[in-house]
Amino acid sequence: MFNTRRIWLSRTLIIVVLLAASVLAGCMGPRGWPGTASEGNTLYVGTMDGRLVALDPVSSIEKWEWEPASEQPANIASGNLTAIEHAFLSCDREGVGQFKPGYLYGAPVVVNGMIYIGYFAGVVYAIDAATGNEVWQHEIKSHIASGLTVAGGTVYVGSSNGNVSALDAGNGSLNWEFSTQGAVWGTPAVVDGVVYFGSLDHSLYALNANDGKEKWTFTTGGGMGSTPLVVGGMVYIGSFDHKFYAVDADTGVQKWVFQGAGDWFWSEAVYGNGTIYAGGLDHDVYALDAGTGTPTWPEPFRAGDGVKSAPVIAGGVLVVASENGKIYGLDLKTGQRKWEFDGIKAKVLSPLYAAGGKVYINGQDNRLYALDGATGFLFWAVPL
Amino acid sequence: MEEAMAEAKPARRVNLRRLVIYLLIAVLICLFIGRVLSITAIWNTIVLRPVLNFLVLMSRYFLGSFGLAIVVLTIIIRLLTYPLVIRQIRSSRALQAVQPKVTELQKKYGKDRQKLNQEIRKLHKEYGVNPLGCYPPTLFQFPIWIAVYMSVAQALAYTPENLLGLERQLYSPWLLQNTVPLNDHFLWLDLTRGNIGMAFLEGISLWILMRMGTTGPVTGQQPSMNRVVLWGMPLLFAYMAFVLPSGLSLYWVVSIIVGIILQYPITGWGSLKMPSLSSLKRGAPQPAGNPGAKTRGTGRGGDKAGKAVAPKQCGAKADAASSKGEATAGDMVSRGDKVGHEEPGSEGKN
Repeated sequence: MFNTRRIWLSRTLIIVVLLAASVLAGCMGPRGWPGTASEGNTLYVGTMDGRLVALDPVSSIEKWEWEPASEQPANIASGNLTAIEHAFLSCDREGVGQFKPGYLYGAPVVVNGMIYIGYFAGVVYAIDAATGNEVWQHEIKSHIASGLTVAGGTVYVGSSNGNVSALDAGNGSLNWEFSTQGAVWGTPAVVDGVVYFGSLDHSLYALNANDGKEKWTFTTGGGMGSTPLVVGGMVYIGSFDHKFYAVDADTGVQKWVFQGAGDWFWSEAVYGNGTIYAGGLDHDVYALDAGTGTPTWPEPFRAGDGVKSAPVIAGGVLVVASENGKIYGLDLKTGQRKWEFDGIKAKVLSPLYAAGGKVYINGQDNRLYALDGATGFLFWAVPL
Repeated sequence: MEEAMAEAKPARRVNLRRLVIYLLIAVLICLFIGRVLSITAIWNTIVLRPVLNFLVLMSRYFLGSFGLAIVVLTIIIRLLTYPLVIRQIRSSRALQAVQPKVTELQKKYGKDRQKLNQEIRKLHKEYGVNPLGCYPPTLFQFPIWIAVYMSVAQALAYTPENLLGLERQLYSPWLLQNTVPLNDHFLWLDLTRGNIGMAFLEGISLWILMRMGTTGPVTGQQPSMNRVVLWGMPLLFAYMAFVLPSGLSLYWVVSIIVGIILQYPITGWGSLKMPSLSSLKRGAPQPAGNPGAKTRGTGRGGDKAGKAVAPKQCGAKADAASSKGEATAGDMVSRGDKVGHEEPGSEGKN
């Protein structure tokens, strides 16, 4: 029938449009940028599919691996993430309705033989570093999109609902919680009994680590998604207002501000020899005098893409990753390129990790790369 | 000579609008094949970025409220698509009006399908009927839904990746710096999460809109597919409003409410209108929106006529999915027998 066929065709077209749109709507969900940590002779690496793997740093041989139980996304039941929402949003290769164990943002933390790790689904785990067995878990009523900090027997974690929670490192019980008006996506820094963190509500906070009472706040012109760097009685943090701030750690008073960037600061800065090194989404890496904020390089180093990973200093070289997977080794004093590694055919968003002169890089291809910090030589790359 | 030229004129008429659209599509396909653009880039450029930037900009000027920005976008989209909706209703009515003739053709050429199709095509051409005329609003709405959905996820920063993606999608860094992060709450809603209240509103309002497009109660004589659509679509969309971010369901609900306002002058309350006491006394159940149906029918009774023509109306399913109801004006004429007597194109007289 002519009409029937045309109407059938048009309805088919609608279905095709719907399917195409669904595909386009895909990949809106979390993917994560897991990081690496180490203690003793073991590397602890988060994977893109939510596992925690213990590796030998020399041979890259796996010692054990752990992953949350399959029913782990408990927040689905508690309404933080519905199954349909997850399935519609995510790019999971497992297919619709199949859950990955979790997504990781940031590196695990290893302290005294215990590994602490937070999942996007809102669950913090403590795992025995020797055996890979779970010791406790604590569910936070929101997403965790940052790393954790452990200090003085307490785990500090920020979450998407604007809270920073302090958990007892021994049993996971909640000590206190502090609320802000924006998501906390940077890892809190804890120094001398004070917790420092930035929020998307444009403020940098300093809290008393014991009770979570506010000590001071410092407001910038944009949100802050990075981890503050606390060194020498100063707090250094970049903001979405394209500025990089130095604030007195005791009083919260601004010491200096650098205004020469062309885009957001997303990643944590690194300190070395009286200089602060910070990468921006404008592709530039800046070296600023820690005392005055004056640029110390003749000109910023231009990377191949935005810098979203926290840089590190390894083997006397500043190692920076740009989002497009290029890794650069820069001279600390001049900013000149000493080496470049372009063997990563994937994005790099995870914070870099340096230990024993090596740099460990988690790629979005779910591989861990070990480079020599001084030369950029690739020791190994292992699929996780 | 002049006569010949006059005859030749229509043949030379070129639909410029269509030509431009085809050219644009051809250019996009070439860019895609040449790998200059990816599907994502095309989608982002044409649909997502305009919608996203508009929403973020509006948020800045409407008290920083992303919810208000969604409401403004919805109203503008509904007003922009209103001409399409009118066309949709006209198509529906025209399709309906020729239905008796189609039925006759079916009887005449029932066994010869090729001939039947040929005759139907000729009939449609003669009366200027376009069976696909019902679908433009539907096709127009789908990408907007997806764009709103993606905008909610990206602008309200469900994940850090969304926020970083937003940084690349906004036209102006100024906009990003001064507006982000946005307030993800509107009234009682967390716009990033599903909401049972919105699910309820969505279901009820869609049901009302769809019933406005019908002239009689859904009875056993209504084609079963339409019955399923009338009840199933509100339930389906209510469920979606429950599980998907309420920023999207806010768009839907406002769209439906505006649809009700725009549709009321055309269809009235449709089958939602209570039958009068006098009609109840007579024991004559008449379609509420079309009290004269029995007397003005095809001679076979209003319901019967409605049943016969229902499959040929603009698809209620698609209508419900597009504006979720505006084109169910087609239903109005499907059960209203007056169309059995009117000529195509006379819809303005109804």
